[in-house]
Amino acid sequence: MAILVDASTKILIQGITGREASMVVRHSLGYGTRIAAGVTPGKWGEEIHGVPVYDTVRQACVAHELNTTVIYVPPAFAYDAVMEALACDMKLILIMTERIPQQDVAKFLYAARESGCTIVGPNSVGIISPGERVKVGAIGGDNPSRCFVPGEVGVISRSGGMTAECAWMVKRAGSGVSTCVSVGGDALIGSTPKEILARFEVDPSTKAVVLWGEPGTNLEEDVAAFIATGGFTKPLIGYVGGQFVENLPEGTVFGHAASIIQAGHGKPSNKISQLEAAGALMARTFNELIPLLQSALGASNAPQVET
Amino acid sequence: MARLLEAISKELLTSYGIATPKFRVATTPEEVAEIVACWRCPVVVKAHIPVGRRGKAGAVRFATSPQEAADCAKKLLGATVRHFPVTSVLVEERIAIGQECYASISVDASKRSIVAMVSTAGGVDIEEIAAKQGKLCTLTIEPFRGLRAFEARQLWVEAGCSGSLLRPLTEALTRLYQLFVGVDATIVEVNPLALNCERQSLAVGALIGVDDNALYRHPELADKVEPGSDRAWRPLTEREKQAIAVDRADPYRGTARYTEMDGGDIGFLCGGGGGSLLMFDALCRLGGAPANYSEVGGNPTEPKVFGVTRVIASKPGVKGLLVCINITNNTQTDVVAAGVVQALRDLNIDPTRFPTVVRLAGLNESVAARICAEAGIEYYGDDITMEDAARRIVERVRQTYLGLAVTQHV
Repeated sequence: MAILVDASTKILIQGITGREASMVVRHSLGYGTRIAAGVTPGKWGEEIHGVPVYDTVRQACVAHELNTTVIYVPPAFAYDAVMEALACDMKLILIMTERIPQQDVAKFLYAARESGCTIVGPNSVGIISPGERVKVGAIGGDNPSRCFVPGEVGVISRSGGMTAECAWMVKRAGSGVSTCVSVGGDALIGSTPKEILARFEVDPSTKAVVLWGEPGTNLEEDVAAFIATGGFTKPLIGYVGGQFVENLPEGTVFGHAASIIQAGHGKPSNKISQLEAAGALMARTFNELIPLLQSALGASNAPQVET
Repeated sequence: MARLLEAISKELLTSYGIATPKFRVATTPEEVAEIVACWRCPVVVKAHIPVGRRGKAGAVRFATSPQEAADCAKKLLGATVRHFPVTSVLVEERIAIGQECYASISVDASKRSIVAMVSTAGGVDIEEIAAKQGKLCTLTIEPFRGLRAFEARQLWVEAGCSGSLLRPLTEALTRLYQLFVGVDATIVEVNPLALNCERQSLAVGALIGVDDNALYRHPELADKVEPGSDRAWRPLTEREKQAIAVDRADPYRGTARYTEMDGGDIGFLCGGGGGSLLMFDALCRLGGAPANYSEVGGNPTEPKVFGVTRVIASKPGVKGLLVCINITNNTQTDVVAAGVVQALRDLNIDPTRFPTVVRLAGLNESVAARICAEAGIEYYGDDITMEDAARRIVERVRQTYLGLAVTQHV
């Protein structure tokens, strides 16, 4: 079991002939993930590592059963690619592209909500469910098993790179991951940590979740409120990076586009205290994730004693 | 987001049919006196810098005569306001205001939409308006349909507007939305949106931020926006400009960003967006002083890594270099290592004497390890955590420059 992607996911890659995308195809196939088809306008008939390429998503859908697409097209074409995927009834759209104009994002997020499609990203590094040997996107690179080993911990991260590093800390703690989701570092994203957490709550294979937070936005505050109101009942172990930003003048971006403290909102210290008050286990240092995970998993793995 | 200067914002507003008080930009007190002598009306003299809340910083002054206006300009020009040196002032006609309102169109991340906000209580900070319950009315705009006139009208009515105010305010709000879409703004805020005695609406205070990522489709804004200006709290330094040039030289592969700190002695080459936050925190907590913030990621080219490393290591006072990226997904660590080694060589820095710690794990790391070993660089893969690498560079710098005894292993 996993969330969002599993062995039955039927994957399309839009922009498959690009340098990054074709490398990702090679790595994904090597991991054992099946990729059904790819699209690059004008490249019909080509193959990328054996995956057939079509001119349009519609053509690909006629030839293959598809439900998930990965967007690897340049920023100026991302809007059209997402709208094309929506028009062809994709259920999950993963957007890897960074630097998409914000008003384009506002439009396709609206369209996705209207049609009941789930978007992850933009600026995501991907999703991986190691128990199913499915990775979508660059996540894990050429050696996914280095960081991502099967287990019972979910990972949600606003940083693509830290998704891998968090999973590796889980591995160091002697455990593994169910599904890891890089939600993307932009201000406007399709799936928030809270929404991913709701999926982990009902996933029987996930016993605890690690959350990587950052300055800016209300994403962590929303998670805290979600836990406080009973929406998530499993252990949440978290770290919020960028505490130094509070000592610098407001309104400056450090890191991802969404990582900005404005008018007093988005301070890591507030996020940490709200998450802690809601019952999350917050690591003071990143290294501290390991003992926190070990104690949380030890507790949740302990046999239930009836009293 | 790149924040536009007030004069540029007001020119844009005018071109979309939203009137503003007349204004001019001046760089000397004499010029200011001449403008006011010509206008023969009370004026406002403002520091012309891309930051908000200038009034609270004493950078908005009022004058009724040419001499008084020149004195205001004299006090502002050459001063530094909220980290920005004032090199020009905006002289503006001071109008008789009947009522002050607030209107904005912005991207609301938590609603994942574009929103319009209005209030009849303008002239103060938006936070103060919002604190008064019921004073700030918000409408989520359906992005494909846009803001329709009747919706704008409904919003103003909800905010308590009626009578002859309704028409000019409705018009102003729909035009603000057209401007917002037209220039790919992230925020268009008019505060106060004033109504003069003739019931005309005038944009007195204006803030426009545009989306850096959409500039490719707005050549008309090219010379009005400084890319990267949202990543510093003061004008960009020479080294920051160099780093931006390095990044833009190859816009389609990887990212390299650099923000200079005041002081500090540890050169900081970390990544990606999240990993660099973690490393900066770790260095500070361990008593280290980063000389800069940086992030590299997205599989940058060797020239990009070389260029940004060169910028980092060339800052005066840098006594050591930390290179640490989270275990990479798609970033080729050998390319990063090669870029770093090349930059050190180029600057005649010997990494066996100049404390240098590299923690690079992920794609092609065995090659990265060999490149570092051959250059005499202390290298780690995933045998240590990122925070351990931060501890190591702090120790190395102390060891080298203070001769303090420290533990030998991490």
